[in-house]
Amino acid sequence: MTETLQATYLMPATVHEALDMAAQHQGHCAFMAGGTDLMANRFQGNNAAPVLIDLTQVSDMKGIDQRDGYLRIGALETLHQLAKSPALSEFTMLREAAHSVGAPLLRKTATLGGNVLCENRCLYYNQTEWWRESIGYCLKCDGDICIATGGRNACFSELVSDTAPAIIAMEGEIEWVSPLGTRVQPLEAIYTGDGVKSKNLPDNAIVTAIRLPLYRNFRHSFHKLRERESLEYTSLTLAMAVDGQGNGKVAMSGVDPKAVVARWAAGALDKGALLKQLLKGARAVDNDMFTRGYRRQMVEVYLSQALGKVVW
Amino acid sequence: MQLIQLTVNGAVHHVAVAPHDTLAKVLRDKVMLTGTKMGCEQGSCGACTVMLEGSAVQSCVTPVLRAAGKRITTIEGIAQGSQLHPLQQAFMEKGAVQCGYCTPGMIMTTLDFLKENPHPTENEIREALSGNLCRCTGYHKIVEAVTAYVAGTGHSNEGERQYHMVGQPRPYLETAKKVSGTADYADDIKVKNALHCKFLRSTHAHARINSIDLEAAKKLPGVRAVVAGAHLPIRFGVLPISQDETAMAIHKTRYVGEIVAAVAADTEEIAETACALIKVDYTPLRPFFDAREGCGDVGQDEKIHAHTKYNNNIHKKAELRFGDQETGLGQAAHVIEGQFIFEGINHGFTEPHAATAWWDENGLSIITATQVPHYLHRYLAKVLEVPMSRVRVIKPVVGGGFGGKSDPFPHEIIVCHLARLTGKPVRTRFTREEVFLTNHGRHPSDMRLRLGAHADGSFAALDADVLIDGGAYGSFGVVTTYYNGVLLQAPYRLDNFGFRTRRVYTNKPQSGAMRGHGAVNTRFAIETMIDELAERLDMDPCALRLRNFITGQAHTVGQFRITSNGSAMCLEQVMRQSGWAEKFGKLPYGHGIGVACGFFISGSALPIHWNEYPQSVVHLKLDLDGRVLVSSGASDIGQGSDTMLAVIVGEVLGLDLAHIMVLAADTALTPIDLGSYSSRVTFMAGNAAKTAAENLREKVLEAVAQVNGTEANELYLHQGHVRSNDGKIGLTWVEATEMATRKVGALTVSGQYNSPKLGGDFKGSGAGLSPSYSFGAAVVEVKVNPETGHVKVLQLWGAHDVGKAINPLAVEGQLEGSWHMGLGQALSEQMRYHKGLLVNGNLLDYKIPTSLDTPMMHTNIIETIDPEGPFGGKECGEGALHPVPPAVANAIYNAVGVRIRTLPITAEVVYKAMKEKEKHVQTELA
Repeated sequence: MTETLQATYLMPATVHEALDMAAQHQGHCAFMAGGTDLMANRFQGNNAAPVLIDLTQVSDMKGIDQRDGYLRIGALETLHQLAKSPALSEFTMLREAAHSVGAPLLRKTATLGGNVLCENRCLYYNQTEWWRESIGYCLKCDGDICIATGGRNACFSELVSDTAPAIIAMEGEIEWVSPLGTRVQPLEAIYTGDGVKSKNLPDNAIVTAIRLPLYRNFRHSFHKLRERESLEYTSLTLAMAVDGQGNGKVAMSGVDPKAVVARWAAGALDKGALLKQLLKGARAVDNDMFTRGYRRQMVEVYLSQALGKVVW
Repeated sequence: MQLIQLTVNGAVHHVAVAPHDTLAKVLRDKVMLTGTKMGCEQGSCGACTVMLEGSAVQSCVTPVLRAAGKRITTIEGIAQGSQLHPLQQAFMEKGAVQCGYCTPGMIMTTLDFLKENPHPTENEIREALSGNLCRCTGYHKIVEAVTAYVAGTGHSNEGERQYHMVGQPRPYLETAKKVSGTADYADDIKVKNALHCKFLRSTHAHARINSIDLEAAKKLPGVRAVVAGAHLPIRFGVLPISQDETAMAIHKTRYVGEIVAAVAADTEEIAETACALIKVDYTPLRPFFDAREGCGDVGQDEKIHAHTKYNNNIHKKAELRFGDQETGLGQAAHVIEGQFIFEGINHGFTEPHAATAWWDENGLSIITATQVPHYLHRYLAKVLEVPMSRVRVIKPVVGGGFGGKSDPFPHEIIVCHLARLTGKPVRTRFTREEVFLTNHGRHPSDMRLRLGAHADGSFAALDADVLIDGGAYGSFGVVTTYYNGVLLQAPYRLDNFGFRTRRVYTNKPQSGAMRGHGAVNTRFAIETMIDELAERLDMDPCALRLRNFITGQAHTVGQFRITSNGSAMCLEQVMRQSGWAEKFGKLPYGHGIGVACGFFISGSALPIHWNEYPQSVVHLKLDLDGRVLVSSGASDIGQGSDTMLAVIVGEVLGLDLAHIMVLAADTALTPIDLGSYSSRVTFMAGNAAKTAAENLREKVLEAVAQVNGTEANELYLHQGHVRSNDGKIGLTWVEATEMATRKVGALTVSGQYNSPKLGGDFKGSGAGLSPSYSFGAAVVEVKVNPETGHVKVLQLWGAHDVGKAINPLAVEGQLEGSWHMGLGQALSEQMRYHKGLLVNGNLLDYKIPTSLDTPMMHTNIIETIDPEGPFGGKECGEGALHPVPPAVANAIYNAVGVRIRTLPITAEVVYKAMKEKEKHVQTELA
């Protein structure tokens, strides 16, 4: 069906222009920010949208400022800029998270919006068209079963954003725009837990910013499991933040289709219960170069390390 | 198509592009600036880095329309005319360039990050370059080059003065082209009107092909030819004894990824679309993925190859026994036993395979990324049924090989065939996935060894039982089978030594030769067991090794003739430099140090094809202009063999490089050299070049003597002059050349290398015979995270006996690259399969260590002056890898007390071993 449509590349200058373009090409288009994730997926045949809407020239999606008690970070801020941004002095965990993504050159192109929205990954899905045909297509590419689990009827491709857990742990929010207007939600709310359609956003939504609550005095700890020290998607990212009041929140990626989140109120920390909750949420399967078992064991290790750092 | 404007390096280009083209493809294919390389097309190697409006981007993931109207700088725009940028200069001078394929990306990335951080620390340089993969240098010299550039320090390479050319560190002849982006690799050479070839690959591991329907593909507009296996039925294989492969699968497929059909079309996209229209009807057969299973009787099921001897999939069994292992083990005070299991690994060269072929009045020509033009020459002639006199193989600049370009390949044969069918040139370039599927990498291995020692530490016996997984075809496998055994007979004295090795066909991409061929995995096993033995004996592991070394000149138990031997010198050097005595056994928990040694051949004394042709021939031509043309079939794949030839010829003739030109690896123009494999080139082609130069010297001096009425032995060549001992004659080289060419014209001379007759009088004695052997040692210091198992290599001290470093800069580069590759195999690299399908065939999931994963390396060249090597030189490009994986494993044991017998040693493997140990300790306490 898509083959008959003309390949098109559009570069809107404003959000509204972008929304209009999306309306015009509804069902056949994809938004793209830096494109480091999307272009690699296109190379492997995992994204074949005939119309690409490049958002990098949209003026009102850049910049960092303070509004209404939040630090508002434009979705087009690159991870490279964020990793060294003085504006994030209150949220240095986001700097650390941004710096942990991919490799230096990728971070110069990749954006914060793109990172929280990056497509879920699985060893059995992030492969070429030929490869997926050879193995029998999986659920995420119109097949009947999950290959990684040997036949389950659900997709466990992992959320691999490194910035998302950091943002979520610090009670961050996502701001997105659709023809119906602007909405702000806690970031974790957009992740569905279904690896096939992993984001609960309308197709024509554009993420415009990430918001982080100011003056919460977070102490935090960030951990990323990867084989090499660079050039890696995550196998487990765990981010923890405790605010000035002692309320804590921990969020993980890399072990479930969605962000796995747990929290505790000041004075009510129960490490055992927290671990149990995280492990219950982490439906990791063997779809990574590290096994499911090891990644789950590292949840405990990172949790302990994080608690050791942020809880006194 | 859309017409856009790109300003590239200051020049405005109007190019028609498809809306979703990448900047990398447009720069290479439309703007024709091929200095921008493609190694992965997924943003995971950095070779394609360019500047967009002054800021670095990876052009393979940058849509070209994003760059429309913008200012782009590529590597070609970095030099000012013919004046190299100081950073390019630094890369050259520091030896940061070997194959050169990653170099443009490295330079662009460096220039970019230095704008933000003009005074980086070493670690900041490693961090900044950690998205740019290099497979040759181990990053060491790249970091050095950037450091030197930042510090503004110039050329500081000072060699010895015993020779005027040999022993002087120098960049390769072609380095300026490599740093400028103008060196032409196979895919950079655009032959006009070439068609593009793509392949249809099997989706079944083991299946009968019932039918192939090519009709729909043929009808697609723009398709010029479509072929399948039956068109090319003649078998080939690099070894004459393993002619078990056809260019495309016929009747059945033997691995997922095997080529089943091929298309030549006007564009790559059309060829790809046409491949998808080919219909293949398969009947699946029982697949065999496990080598041990493959040793068993297959019953009613079909074997992978009909030709195997019994009703199983064993391809080759090799067994040799010297002395009596059982008696030796019986007499030993201590016996260490172990089973060792390894995943296969891939060479990971940065340049994917590419080739272009055409036919004309001279027959067939092919430009291809190969290490073995001669073997390809032979098998193109065989499969295509043309005389060898009508086949020309041209090796362009090659972006690394490491054994992965040392076979004749199906794609090379197919593009030649398609070019013949269509009457047009046909080109192909592989994706990274295709590179992995083609493989020919290190054999997955499963080995059991027993090592016995007397109470004083001397080795009593060694017995090895080795199973290697050959994948679907033979490749170099018969040699690998022997090497896994025979290369254990040194560097230690062993009287009771024996092995059995079996190579088994499985339904996976074939294994073949890879750097350190055949001996890396067994070396890991034995060096780990020696470490264990040292602990049992309560001896220092270095002392135990020193106690057992074969010393000086000797013959091993299997009649290997050792002529130069730097084992002890290597080990003593790394012990001293690493502070071994102060560290071993004295570091805190989680922090460890380990050691291991190695041994390798310097060329195979027996040629693959049994004939009396020399292993290497070099021709020199000297004409009136005074230029010496060195003509050799040797294949420079980034290791620097062209430069080596020039240096040797220059040394003998007293000339500098300005008088020398190297013409290499073109089978129509250059005499045969067998190829760049088994670490043979410096020894064999180098010796041939030396002999040729000596022959030329004789001719020139005789002519000069005759003209001047003296004797040739009264004359000598020095610094571009012919002088007489009495000081009366002092001619420039050009003047001497004029005298030498009177009446006869251009002088042509030849030099050959033939191995001496070596070896014992028993069947199998030829395996592993070499005119010389290399020795080495490495010490590795690690930190192991006791909570996660993550291993951080802090430092590596390596020493390698290279005989004599003809070009020390190149030798250091070879050693550092070998160590880096050893670290990758030790810690992170593996080829993982799911039902025969490779799951990590890309540079994201196949974990080549980045600059951040690679430690500081301390490089020591040990010189023992081999009596038969050119100026004493011998192997340096492979053997240095051997000690690294066991040194890492031994260091991990030293750090956290767990003995790992599998590779790679990922964090997970260490973690599990630590947990098991904990459990064990608790059980014992209970």
